[in-house]
Amino acid sequence: MLYKNYLKMHIKSSFQYRYNMIFIAFNQVLINIGEVLAVYLLFQQFTLVAGWTFYQSLLMMGIVFTVFPFDECFARGYDEFPQLIQSGDLDRFLIRPVNIHYQIFGSKIEFTKIPRLLLGITISIIALVNINIDWNILKVLVLIATYICGISVIFGLFVFSAGISIFTVENLEFINILTNGSKELAYYPINIYAKWLTRIFTYIIPIACFNYLPLSYILEIGTIPPWLCAISPLLGMLFLIPCVLFFNYSLHKYKSTGT
Amino acid sequence: MLKSYIGIFKMEFKGELQYRAKAISGIATQFFWGLLQIYLYMAFMTSDTINGLTLSQLSSYVWLGQAFFAMRFITMNKKIGKDITNGNVCYKFVRPIDMYDQWYAEGIGQKLASTLLRFAPIIIIAIFLPPNLRLYAPVNFIAFVLFVLSLILGLLMSHTISMFAIFLTFKTLSDKGSVGIVSSISNLLSGVIIPLPLLPLSLQNILNYLPFRFISDLPFRIYIGNISTHEGLIYLAIGFAWLIVLIILGKNLIKYALKKTIIQGG
Repeated sequence: MLYKNYLKMHIKSSFQYRYNMIFIAFNQVLINIGEVLAVYLLFQQFTLVAGWTFYQSLLMMGIVFTVFPFDECFARGYDEFPQLIQSGDLDRFLIRPVNIHYQIFGSKIEFTKIPRLLLGITISIIALVNINIDWNILKVLVLIATYICGISVIFGLFVFSAGISIFTVENLEFINILTNGSKELAYYPINIYAKWLTRIFTYIIPIACFNYLPLSYILEIGTIPPWLCAISPLLGMLFLIPCVLFFNYSLHKYKSTGT
Repeated sequence: MLKSYIGIFKMEFKGELQYRAKAISGIATQFFWGLLQIYLYMAFMTSDTINGLTLSQLSSYVWLGQAFFAMRFITMNKKIGKDITNGNVCYKFVRPIDMYDQWYAEGIGQKLASTLLRFAPIIIIAIFLPPNLRLYAPVNFIAFVLFVLSLILGLLMSHTISMFAIFLTFKTLSDKGSVGIVSSISNLLSGVIIPLPLLPLSLQNILNYLPFRFISDLPFRIYIGNISTHEGLIYLAIGFAWLIVLIILGKNLIKYALKKTIIQGG
């Protein structure tokens, strides 16, 4: 399969600069640990945030720290889409008889994100062990769906901003608010923010669907009907559809930047 | 001699002013971050004060942080990083000026320009926000004077700490990684990630005397009146002492790194 060749190529090329790769990865893990430490220290002061305990909030952080590096690793081509436009690689992709999305996925795989991904999984496990949950099959399924939902929503944001960069050529810092803003927001239960913020990040960008909604089902807290919370990750995944449609539309309008 | 450094400073300053569109986009981003942070702390604060800090003081602290964000971050000129990793830095060795001083002047020029370009709009918008979300006036005039003084110290301190990233780049040949390591340490200890007044007091007692807090925590806390002018003067003296120590240390490290540099031809 073609993707296997892509994978091999990227592994080979990144291991050419082994120390650089290890150094960057180590440093990124350090940043995340710093952020976890910051949240821990905040909870030392306040113990409860709007009824959520430290470990419950840590689980949300663990989800973000897992799904974000996953997308950054495997969907890096969308994340750094302006580079594909600027270098003219996109033009070359378009004349090849292979699906464009397939090629963008293969254009870059960022292995320096793997340690971050492992850290995210570790944090999730630490949080899950420290929370008392009455596990049953449905809850396990909801938890798995939550992670998949997170991956699709963040991926959707990457695709959306890639679509915008077709028109702007450069990655606007303002667009970063969408991706990085969503990320930082999701460190904590989204419903602790002001109403209007919660609404935007529930109905427009469904961060809540891999944040407090499914978790309030698993932890059995909150006032929202449990069945709605349980299916919320599935609803969140739908976010990907308009993003991909928008991207395809933009690509249709794409004019090369020339050489 | 000083003239050439002022020349370098001016050049970088003007260069930075060219990127106006980038600045506007950056301001919008900072504004959103500021709001986000204040809403977050609002959710955290169940009582009126935390560690003696009211919500209005905290929101002033956040807005000042957003307004002066360009000077709070540890940055390294991409050119310098590239020069070191690809070896072009050796051409600079032939010039009869000190490398540390040259990089220092360059960096300060950039940092000052990008700060001056960005701080005013955020301050103006933040003043007109609804109560509890807005930026309040400084407690008194003396505090304001001390605030400006300590802000200058902060700019110098931030850049002096950034200079250690250049040394690390010489050692590791990874500019991204080096800046990342220095900035992730600095961001945590200087209050960029969470304002230092929100941390447990026992931890604050240590952080208050480390160099990182002088970057932005000290000026902001003088401004909101969390640190009295008397205390502020003492801290200011400690800060300048740290600054001198770190500059001497940084200078020697760069000198040492340059001595050990092997140029591999090409």
